[in-house]
Amino acid sequence: MHTAKKQLDDIEGNEFSYPGLSDIIFMKSEKFIETVLNWGRSNSLWPLTFGTSCCAIEMMTFGATKVDSDRMGVLFIGDSPRQADLLLVSGTITKKMARRLLNVYEQMPSPKYVIAVGACNVSGGLYHDSYNTIHGIDLIMPVDVYIPGCPPRPEEFMDAVRVLQRLIKQNKAKASLKNGSIL
Amino acid sequence: MAAYFDLLSAKLGKAVSQAQSNNDNETLIVLSDKKLIKKAALEIKKKFDILFMLVVVDYKPRFELNYVFSSYSSKNILTLRVNIDEKDYSIDSISKIFDSANWEEREAYDLFGIKFNGHPDLRRILLPEDWPGHPMRKDFIVTDEVRNWTGLDLKF
Repeated sequence: MHTAKKQLDDIEGNEFSYPGLSDIIFMKSEKFIETVLNWGRSNSLWPLTFGTSCCAIEMMTFGATKVDSDRMGVLFIGDSPRQADLLLVSGTITKKMARRLLNVYEQMPSPKYVIAVGACNVSGGLYHDSYNTIHGIDLIMPVDVYIPGCPPRPEEFMDAVRVLQRLIKQNKAKASLKNGSIL
Repeated sequence: MAAYFDLLSAKLGKAVSQAQSNNDNETLIVLSDKKLIKKAALEIKKKFDILFMLVVVDYKPRFELNYVFSSYSSKNILTLRVNIDEKDYSIDSISKIFDSANWEEREAYDLFGIKFNGHPDLRRILLPEDWPGHPMRKDFIVTDEVRNWTGLDLKF
């Protein structure tokens, strides 16, 4: 049907580009339920804040008054991996810390989404030549959205969350792709 | 600060020699025999409270250890310099005498591979336990293998 419009959405990105009414009508029931669930999940992302260095300061600003993350459903409720959907990894991850990070990631219930914050987590950043850091956390876990910057501004966190919400609504987030049906 | 040097040389004799220091409240003493480190530390304990720094330098012949002692009351600093040659990368631990030496010696072991005999808990302190090699040595080369090492068994 709207092939041109869909392509445009994929390229430009549109927050309303989750499956339309006509898509839903002809959908298999499993996928329909998953789509509805994903719509709900995207609007209440509870983050687990994993801050190890300076990016964590910007992450705090993201949750604070001026750039209010609550209005997008990202509630900084409590640091428990058991109740979190979203892992916000902000800060340099050393090789010793990588095990702890993976441990925390494995404690989170599925579906779980990961945002890699800052140059260190995207590609190693300032420590790209170091013997003791992980050069991008996508070496150790699947990452949905990357935020470049050293450190990125809180507005970029907001942008990343909107990108992630769009991915979840389109059933394109890594957690949905990997497990297939999450029911 | 010749007083501290006299104190040490009275006990250790010709094994110690004084070197030039830049500041007035600093004393730099070179210990020629590494086996006497415990004896020297016991002497230093009488005048100085803490070991606040252990500096290891990779020179020739091999490692130079600088034990920096400090005193709360007199505000003086004493640096004891010991050399370790390539035959044997080990020295007696002084962690029983100065408590803060415990972690300092673990760090020196972690990054330089110096063995401290008699240390109560000689494990790595900064790097993971199964890390290959000692990265602060001059002959340690950061290869791609080292860079990409995670030590994790990943299945995704």
